[in-house]
Amino acid sequence: MPLVMVVDDDQDLAEMLSIVLTGAGMEVDLVGRGDQVIDLFNSHTPDLVLLDLMLPGIGGIEVCKIIRQRSMVPILMLTAKGDTQDIVLGLEAGADDYMVKPFKPQELVARINTRLRRINKVGNLAIGNLLIDQLEHKVVKEGQEILLTRLEFDLLVTLAKEPGRVFTREALLSEVWGYQHAADTRLVNVHVQRLRSKIEVNAESPEYVLTVRGVGYKAGAAKI
Amino acid sequence: MLISKIKVRQSLSLKVLLTNLAFAIFIAIFIGILIHDRVSSTVINEKISISKIETANALNLAQGHFNIARFQDDKGLRKVVQDFITSSREDGSLSGRETVILSINKNAKDQNIYQTVPTLLVLDSIPEKFRDQIRKSDQILDKRVTIRYSDGGEFPGFLIGGKLSIPRSGDYEIYYLFKLNSQYKSIADITWVLLVTGILLIILIGFSTQFVIRQVVSPVKEAALVAEKFTHGDLSSRMTVASDDELASLGNSFNEMAVSIQQQIYRLENLSTLQQRFVSDVSHELRTPLTTLRMAADVIYQAKDGFDSSIARSSELLVNQIDRFELLLSDLLEVSRFDADAAALGITTFDFVNLVRKCVDYLHPSKSSLVEISAPTHSIEIEADPRRVERIMRNLITNAIDHGENKKIEIKIAESENEVAVSVRDFGLGFNQADAAKLFERFWRADPSRARTSGGTGLGLSIALEDTKLHQGQLLAWGNPNQGAHFVLTLPKHYGTAAYSFPIKLEPDITY
Repeated sequence: MPLVMVVDDDQDLAEMLSIVLTGAGMEVDLVGRGDQVIDLFNSHTPDLVLLDLMLPGIGGIEVCKIIRQRSMVPILMLTAKGDTQDIVLGLEAGADDYMVKPFKPQELVARINTRLRRINKVGNLAIGNLLIDQLEHKVVKEGQEILLTRLEFDLLVTLAKEPGRVFTREALLSEVWGYQHAADTRLVNVHVQRLRSKIEVNAESPEYVLTVRGVGYKAGAAKI
Repeated sequence: MLISKIKVRQSLSLKVLLTNLAFAIFIAIFIGILIHDRVSSTVINEKISISKIETANALNLAQGHFNIARFQDDKGLRKVVQDFITSSREDGSLSGRETVILSINKNAKDQNIYQTVPTLLVLDSIPEKFRDQIRKSDQILDKRVTIRYSDGGEFPGFLIGGKLSIPRSGDYEIYYLFKLNSQYKSIADITWVLLVTGILLIILIGFSTQFVIRQVVSPVKEAALVAEKFTHGDLSSRMTVASDDELASLGNSFNEMAVSIQQQIYRLENLSTLQQRFVSDVSHELRTPLTTLRMAADVIYQAKDGFDSSIARSSELLVNQIDRFELLLSDLLEVSRFDADAAALGITTFDFVNLVRKCVDYLHPSKSSLVEISAPTHSIEIEADPRRVERIMRNLITNAIDHGENKKIEIKIAESENEVAVSVRDFGLGFNQADAAKLFERFWRADPSRARTSGGTGLGLSIALEDTKLHQGQLLAWGNPNQGAHFVLTLPKHYGTAAYSFPIKLEPDITY
């Protein structure tokens, strides 16, 4: 059973979340304060973190950054404000996705499952000298392994599997994040930036993940 | 003419300047004419009176000379008379004086021997009437005349006439004609000086008026400018006060007023910011408990099959009402964003026709079957925020379904060069035309006693109108009780421009 760490200071909501998630076949760890996250994280590493942005102790964005320093675990933010800078900050701090309260429980479970699912495809992909090992979930460039979050890995694999295709942001939201309806395209922008900062030599003039102006993104041409 | 009149009316400084100039010109002309008259009459009269005295003396002297002299013969007498005439003429040639001697008795032939008229002088210069006066009188008389010469020359001048009695020859009329050339020239010179002085004076008065006006009017102008800035929202604009006069007190009062208004406005702004913040905070704070509530309700709802029927129904109602509550909350939040001017537009280019069709497709099949769309077959690309436009359309369509009494709903799309319009027509309850504007008010209900059938929040149309305004479009409503309602939305095709023409008119063709 996957282990989900729920970080929320509202005890009732946290309890309700644990009821819903347990009902969906997950194990749940509840944490009420931001500064308690790390202690528990070390002893009981979760498969996914459900993180409220407004927390006592350390704020959600800070917690997000701390988790990212030591783990590539998927992070799903919970926020009461759907239109603020907080979301962009959270995404830039390393969150994979976000949900605006109030959300439907089914939607939450679906979103968590998307992040937890494993793409069990065997085989290696490559963009130029960037080698992607799907089985080992590893990206190697010039003999060096690059650590990617699962979402960043999925994003890279999606692009690399169809080298010629230009993916619109909406298509990526559907394939990588699992959104059926139109969603926030900032998700794509922020994560492409994060991915580039890890794999590109110069994120300003990318070689592996190219921007197609006015349309979306595509994998770079294979060149050695 | 009209334009200049308007200009004068509009400009205080121009008005003052023109009035002042008019007065200056009037006074200058009046004084000028007075001085001119006085000077010219003095100059001429002086000359005349001096000449008259001199002439009288000369005549008396000559007459005395003739009377006393005892001449041996006519020849001697003639010489004396001739000498008198010659010397008189010679004297005259220096001073421009002409001497005319005429015999009184026209018939006496031998008496005419001393008659003399300067060669070119036209004798008409001496009026016959004046000659009559001279003949009858023993006085030396004078008269202003025009001296004319046969070569066409005409000079202003005067005439002094008297009688001369020459022994053995009888009585003669003697006339001296004085030209007033030099006097008139002096007068002309004086006139010029007066004219130039007058003009200079007027110009000077013009400038000084302008200077004074600037001192008085420019603070007034500045006040107007500052007031205008103030009106346009620049609450920090103030007048500069640099002296202690009345204008400075105007400036001070103005500035005090500005400060007071600014404070009031800031206070109100602050209040409304607080109010908006409060609405926004409340909405956000409600979200966390609502999330818990929603999840709890969902869990209960999922398990409702195992419950007693009343509890199962209760769980359904609970979920529905939570849905509605959530809708209300998000609408409330949207409204607070409009109030705070914090609504952001995400502008993209999209097909308007497609968007409208999509809105209908989202409806429940039992409802979408009521809707008839008549639209151009081609796409209509517009620059707008699709999320907001979709929300407007959904609000209008939901509204039509809620109040349409299950009758058909007509949606029409039309375009002009720069605008696209869509109308939603239902044939249901309708509303009084007087309520058309109130429809867009928050939480307004046509009939408070009427049971609410829909899950609408009462904010839908108000949000639709705000969304339309953000796009510089127009949203209007027409209605008649029991004939239905007609909503027309017009949007500019290009973001940043306003809608100017309206492809669909508000008044629908009434069909039954």
